[in-house]
Amino acid sequence: MPLYKTQAIVLKSMKLSEKDKLVTFLTETHGKVKCVAKAARRLKSRFGASLEPMSHVSLIYFGKEHQDLYRLNQCDIIQSFQDIKENPDTYYTAVYFLELAGHFIAEDHPEPEIFHLLVRSLREAGNTDSSGTLCRLFELRIMAHAGYTPRLQKCIVCHKEPKSLWVGFSYSQHGIVCEPCFDKEPVEMRIKSGTVNYLKKFLSLNLNHIRRLKIPKDVELEIESITHRLVLARLGRELKSYPFIRQMAEMTRT
Amino acid sequence: MKRPAAVKELIEELKRLPGIGQKTAERLSFYLMRGEKERVENLARTILNIKEKVILCTNCHGITEIDPCDICQDPKRDHNLICVVEEPYDVYVIENMGDYRGEYHVLMGVISPLDGIGPQDLTTEDLKAKVGRNGTREVILATNPDMEGESTAIYIARMLKGAEVKVTRIARGLPVGGDIEYADPVTLKKSMEGRMEIET
Repeated sequence: MPLYKTQAIVLKSMKLSEKDKLVTFLTETHGKVKCVAKAARRLKSRFGASLEPMSHVSLIYFGKEHQDLYRLNQCDIIQSFQDIKENPDTYYTAVYFLELAGHFIAEDHPEPEIFHLLVRSLREAGNTDSSGTLCRLFELRIMAHAGYTPRLQKCIVCHKEPKSLWVGFSYSQHGIVCEPCFDKEPVEMRIKSGTVNYLKKFLSLNLNHIRRLKIPKDVELEIESITHRLVLARLGRELKSYPFIRQMAEMTRT
Repeated sequence: MKRPAAVKELIEELKRLPGIGQKTAERLSFYLMRGEKERVENLARTILNIKEKVILCTNCHGITEIDPCDICQDPKRDHNLICVVEEPYDVYVIENMGDYRGEYHVLMGVISPLDGIGPQDLTTEDLKAKVGRNGTREVILATNPDMEGESTAIYIARMLKGAEVKVTRIARGLPVGGDIEYADPVTLKKSMEGRMEIET
């Protein structure tokens, strides 16, 4: 029975029988992995706080290859992100990241880029004041890593760079449509070309520089409706944690 | 040989209970079949009783047979001290300690965004009303020290910010009889933060 050693982020942790826990990890080398942590609910458990969701851990587990459930052997904390968990403003955003990553990655399907994106985003969530911008960037990047990058460079109909102030966005074709082509391809939304520039920037921006990005409020709202609708289109349903982010944002505004 | 339908039905029902699989359900069913009729009737009646007689206390949301519950009615208890817990079962865990003399407030869960459970699904508004009404001196937040429990505690602390009440959180850190060598950094940090002066 092979022994696997890797880094991971704890996505979810739930009670299993009397003393055990069923933990879902997003690992660096094996995608999403579910493990049974024996006696993890006991007060003196050797796993301690390492199985708390959001924790960045070093992991050793074993089991037959490609099985559904593995057995956890060792789990040590690399970074607990305790500051994020204790701040309601960042907590809900980080939980949304976990849920989104969990939906975009299949079990036993390695996606190291998404793993590193999640680690970097969690680190940044604790430092930045603009969790909304980080959220949009995460949504766009995770879709890009999963192969759903929206086509933002050229019009999806005429394949030319749009020159107009306004462009359309087609969710069915996953890209932008320039103003002269509006009658050829139905667009679900009209956005400013400046918003498209921000979206392009999101795809290439170094996460450490997100604090330098100052986005006008109206552009931010446009970006949110686009990225979130793209996520909805891919997943086919609303994520459970998303309404909590909206609620927190409204509470902060009032 | 086929099993009688009544036995099959009982096995299926027992299998729905937590921690009971096919083998245990079969063993329990055959034990009940062999036992005296009076004892089986007694068991069935006690199971029915918990659904018919046990209700939730309108004051603390704990389980009780009388409303308000014994704890809420007890004049010897300190009704200006409220301990907030997640589930009705937690009341009995704290009561077993035998050292707490205040009353309780059961939240009936925790805020869990991953499961879609928000503050509106809990009894937080009742707690807020109770604190404002009773002139409460202190609210002790005794939710579990996990991610959901912490975020719920923080939410309640924020919710009660305007009220003139002391809000405290139960201590987190090393368990009695534990070993520092095996403690994780988060637990150790919490125990350092919550250190207390030794009175000599």
